[in-house]
Amino acid sequence: MDIIIGLTVKEGTIIATSKAATRGISILKDNDDKTRQLNSHNLIAYTGESGDTVQFAEYIQANIQLSTMRENEIELSPKAVASFVRNQLATSIRSRKPYQVNALIGGYDTKTQKPSLSWVDYLGTYVELPYGAHGYSAFYCTSLFDKHYRKDMTIDEGLKLLQMCVDELNRRMPIDFKGVYVKIVDAEGIRQIDFN
Amino acid sequence: MSRRYDSRTTIFSPEGRLYQVEYAQEAIGMAGTAIGVLSPLEGVVLACEKRVTSKLLDNDGSTEKCYVINDKLVCAVAGMTADASILINTARVHSQHYLKEYDEDIPIETLIKRVCDIKQGYTQHGGLRPFGVSFLYAGYDDRYNFQLFTSNPSGNYSGWKATSIGANLSASQTLLKKDYKDDISLGDACKLAIKVLSKTMDTSNVTKDKLEFATLSKLKSGKVMYKIWSEDEIDELIKVSGVLDDADLGDDE
Amino acid sequence: MSDPSSINGGAAVAMVGKDCVAIASDLRLGNQSLGVSNNFEKVFQFGDKTFLGLTGLASDVTTLSQVFRLKTNLYKLREERSIEPQTFANLVSSTLYEKRFGPYFIGPIVAGLDSKTDKPFICGFDLIGCIDFAKDFIVSGTASDQLYGMCESLYEPNLEPEDLFETISQALLNAVDRDALSGWGCVVYVITKDRVVKRVLRTRQD
Repeated sequence: MDIIIGLTVKEGTIIATSKAATRGISILKDNDDKTRQLNSHNLIAYTGESGDTVQFAEYIQANIQLSTMRENEIELSPKAVASFVRNQLATSIRSRKPYQVNALIGGYDTKTQKPSLSWVDYLGTYVELPYGAHGYSAFYCTSLFDKHYRKDMTIDEGLKLLQMCVDELNRRMPIDFKGVYVKIVDAEGIRQIDFN
Repeated sequence: MSRRYDSRTTIFSPEGRLYQVEYAQEAIGMAGTAIGVLSPLEGVVLACEKRVTSKLLDNDGSTEKCYVINDKLVCAVAGMTADASILINTARVHSQHYLKEYDEDIPIETLIKRVCDIKQGYTQHGGLRPFGVSFLYAGYDDRYNFQLFTSNPSGNYSGWKATSIGANLSASQTLLKKDYKDDISLGDACKLAIKVLSKTMDTSNVTKDKLEFATLSKLKSGKVMYKIWSEDEIDELIKVSGVLDDADLGDDE
Repeated sequence: MSDPSSINGGAAVAMVGKDCVAIASDLRLGNQSLGVSNNFEKVFQFGDKTFLGLTGLASDVTTLSQVFRLKTNLYKLREERSIEPQTFANLVSSTLYEKRFGPYFIGPIVAGLDSKTDKPFICGFDLIGCIDFAKDFIVSGTASDQLYGMCESLYEPNLEPEDLFETISQALLNAVDRDALSGWGCVVYVITKDRVVKRVLRTRQD
C-alpha cells in the first residue's frame, strides 16, 4: 500500500513517496523516507516487502557509490544506473529468494541535460516513462496524469499535478499514508521540498 | 648477478627489478612499430608496420596488428600476436558484458584498466610468464572524447597525444614530439603518422603491404566509428603524404 | 493470471513476401490490466538483415535482447561479418535450450534475408528453443490466436514490399484490437534486398 509516484518535467524529475511505514494493520512510523540517493543526480524510490526494500536499495547505493569512486568521481548516467538496477532484479528473480522490490529511479543526465524517470519492478521489467507509479497508487494516479500531464511542464506545474494526485489518494486510499516526501532531481542535484 | 633472479616473474632482483617483465619489454622492442596520433577534435589514427610480408601469406583480408575491440575502440599490437589475441578477446568480452550490464559502451579507460589488471597479475603470481605485448589504444567515449593510450607488459598504462610502441621507440617519439601540434587535424595526423613511420622503418621504401592503418572518427551522422583502411586507401595516403619523395631525399643525405 | 508469459502482454508477427520479409510488434507494456508504457518495442536488429521479435515476460524480453546483442556483437568481431538469419535462429534455439529447466518466458520470432542469396527466412520458437520453420507467416504473443486468424485470411504468397507492409500491418492492427493486453501502437519493419524500412503505426490508445 506504500505510495511512490514520479513524473518528469522540463527541467527535472519529481519523486513522491508516502511517509507511513505500515505492518499489518498498524502504522509504525509517520516519517519513513522510502528513497536513497545513489549519486549526485540519481535517486531511487522503492516499495515492496519490508526488509528487502532497504536492503536492496542500500546494496544498489553502495554499488553505485563504489563505481563513482572507481571511475575517478565520474558518475553513471541515469540510463546506466537504471539498467544496473534492472539487471540486479532480473538476476534476483531467478534466485532462491528473490528481492521483492519495485522501484522508480529519478535521474538527471548532466551530459544530455535531460531528466528521466525509470520504472523498474521486482521481475526486472524496466521502462523509461514520462510519469509512473507502483502499487495501488498507480491505479489512481495514472488516469490523472494521462489527463493533465504535458511534456513541457515547469517544476511548479508538476508539483500542482502531484498535489492533485496526493489529494486523490487521500480521498480514495483506505488508510492514512501520512502525507508524502517530495524530492526533485535536476541540474542542481537532488533536493527535498516542503509539500503538503 | 641477474641469473638468479631473472627466471621467475615474481621475484625482485636485489636492484629492485623484475627481469622477466623487462625481457618481455625487450621482445616488444624488436616488433614492428605502431604509431598513434590523436587529433583531439576529429579522431585518432593508428599506423602499424607489418613485419610478416610474404606473397604466399593468405590472410583472407584480416589484419595482423590492428584489432577492433568495439565500435569505439581499436587497438594496435606490438609484441607476440598470440599473447595479444588472448587479451584482445578478453577485452572484447569485457566490453560486451559492460554493455549488457549498463546498456552503455564501456568507458575507454575502464576497459584498459581491466586489461592491464590482467597483465599486472602475471607480474605478481608465480609460475607463468608475463604477456609479451604492448598495446596502442584509440578510443572514444562521452567523458573525454577521443583518446590515445598505451599499455605494456608490466600492466602500466598511460594517455598520450601522440606516441609509439615497438621498434625504434625513442626515434619515433622524438619525431612526433617535434611535429605534433595540439590542433592537428585527422588528415594531418595520418600524414604525420606515416611520415614518422617511414623514417623509423628499417626498409628504405614504404609500401602498402608493409603498412596497416586504422582510424577512429566521427561520421557525418555524429556517430563515432572505426575504420580499418584498405590497401588502396593506404596507397593513396602514401602518395599524398609524399613520404616516397622524403625517402629519396633521405638516401641523398 | 499469474502466468508469466501474459503478465505484460504484447504481440509480434513476421511474414514472407516476394524477395522481402516483414516483422512487426505492438508497443504496449502493461502490468496485468494496467497499461504502463506505450513505447516498448519488441523487435530488435542483430545483423544487417537479421531481426528478432520477442514477446512474453518483459523482463525476459529485455534480458534476452541484451544477451543476443552481446552474442551477436562478439560473433561479428570473431567472424568479421554480421550474423545470418539462419545462423541466428540456431543461436536463439541453443540459448533458450540452455535454460531448459528454468526457461525464459518468451515467444521469439526471427525474420531476415540471407546476405548471399537474398532469400527470405522466418521462423518461430517455443520458450525452450524448438524451432518452427514456416514459409508464410509466424505469430507470437498474447494476441497469437487473433493473429493466426488475421494472417490466415489476409496472407497471400509473393507480395511486393508495399503490399506486404499493408498486409502485416492490417493483420497486427486488427489482431491487437481484439486483445486487451496488446496494442498501444505498432512498429513494422520491411526488409528488402537493398534496404530496411521501419514504420511506426499510430493506433487506438485504449
